Amino acid sequence: MKFRFAGPELPFARDDTTRFLPWLMAFMVFLAALSVAGFFVLGDAARAIDRGIENTVTIQLPAGDNVKADEDRIAGALTMLRAMPGVASAEALNREKIVQLLEPWLGAAARSTEIPLPWVIDVRVDRANAPKAEAIAALLQPYIPGVMVDDHGVWLQALLRAVRSSEWIAIIVVLLNGLAAAATVVFVTRAGMGLHRETIEVMHFVGAHDTYIARQFALRASLLGLKGSVIGVVLAAPALMLLVLLMGNLGFGLLPEIRLGVGTWISIAGLVPVAAAIALVTAHTTVLKSLGRMI
Amino acid sequence: MNDVVQFESVGLRYGMGPEVLQDVTFALDSGSFHFLVGASGAGKSSLLRLMYLAQRPTRGYISLFGRDVSTTPRDDLPALRRKIGVVFQEFRLLAHMSAFDNVALPLRVANVRESEIKRHVEELLVWVGLKDHMKARPSTLSGGQQQRVAIARAVIARPKLLLADEPTGNVDDHIAQRLMHLFDELNKLGTSIVIATHNEAMVRRSGRKVLKLAGGELRVLDNVADDDSDEFASVFAGDRGRILL
Repeated sequence: MKFRFAGPELPFARDDTTRFLPWLMAFMVFLAALSVAGFFVLGDAARAIDRGIENTVTIQLPAGDNVKADEDRIAGALTMLRAMPGVASAEALNREKIVQLLEPWLGAAARSTEIPLPWVIDVRVDRANAPKAEAIAALLQPYIPGVMVDDHGVWLQALLRAVRSSEWIAIIVVLLNGLAAAATVVFVTRAGMGLHRETIEVMHFVGAHDTYIARQFALRASLLGLKGSVIGVVLAAPALMLLVLLMGNLGFGLLPEIRLGVGTWISIAGLVPVAAAIALVTAHTTVLKSLGRMI
Repeated sequence: MNDVVQFESVGLRYGMGPEVLQDVTFALDSGSFHFLVGASGAGKSSLLRLMYLAQRPTRGYISLFGRDVSTTPRDDLPALRRKIGVVFQEFRLLAHMSAFDNVALPLRVANVRESEIKRHVEELLVWVGLKDHMKARPSTLSGGQQQRVAIARAVIARPKLLLADEPTGNVDDHIAQRLMHLFDELNKLGTSIVIATHNEAMVRRSGRKVLKLAGGELRVLDNVADDDSDEFASVFAGDRGRILL
């Protein structure tokens, strides 16, 4: 006669308390995956913005009635700017480039001759020694009335702060999901301990160590966490691809192209073992703490 | 000191209720054999619970195998419990496991090799007459068969102390005698045995020492004859209908 021990002493197969754990874990991992993707996309955006902040100042010169006179004034302004300390280079944008810049905001109207488009000078400055926007305006104002100096750094800094804050929010969301997953495991484990109290007591009476019992709960929770997190990632992957597709179609000029790189996908896949580990450690700790209160 | 169990002025109460055990003081030597008697509600099960570490006393001192239970670290309790075999009155078999796995449980939690477990468990189940029921779940076994599984589980790890709560309560005379023989054999091998019972005939016939509980207090009698016969008989008076032997 051959006997085989079918599994752990605790009858988890009959345990209704764990039925929803995989789906709860799947939901939390799904949200975490979106947050992780958001973190990486925001990181890309922050780096792009940071590069923009580096050293550019844009100067707008109001268009006059005479193009030749405008071109003379631009040439004069360029000479003054290039002579200014802290200015690395100053170049006037041609008409086509200006239209391209305005098209995302004005659409086809940007090409209309009815709308008077300003002239634009792109100034590269040495950030360590950059002249203030007010100083540039003061220099040009007597020569070109109505000149406007736009230091990108000021508003890009604000945008960068917003993006960096969003990155932190994404991290916090991931952490909160981890905490919620742990709390769920604690609840399910405690419910399971209540359900299997009789078996646990008998195991204690025959000399089982707390860790022997905790290991069974931990392995069970870990397997359910693994199952749930795989479901969550599998659901998140197409959702993210669809989101990237939709965002790409919006054609924002402000943010860089949204794409999910290998690093992003590896990080999302990494949620699976992390969720399983959270379930394992949480269940093990919960059981040991609860058993510690028994004799 | 050779005491397996030592109680000194032990008291036990549940919640804010009255003391179910009062100033219980006794010691069990290694290799001793005692019957624990008392009317229903006298505190027999509570006394056994204290001995198999399911309960802490409200007051007093308990030592098992020379170790003060109150100061024994939690991690050391399993080692103490492995020296104690318990036959519960309500058997407490795990319903989802076969008779074989129930009996194997003490060996599995002690990480004994599976080949050894198989050999020992099969041998013991054959001995208690359950050769053909090794794979059976407890729910498919009769009360007597369940009791034999419970006894097999209690003795499989060769405990130094065996505590049994009404171990012959659900078996016929033949099986009861075989079980008592098993307990005798274990006792000869050095296992200290305490059997809580209402079986007056068995106690009288054995001539063993008696721990008598009445009103929460314990008296140790060398044998039944030491007791006032009327008083001793009164312990069993309400239980004669349940006695099988």
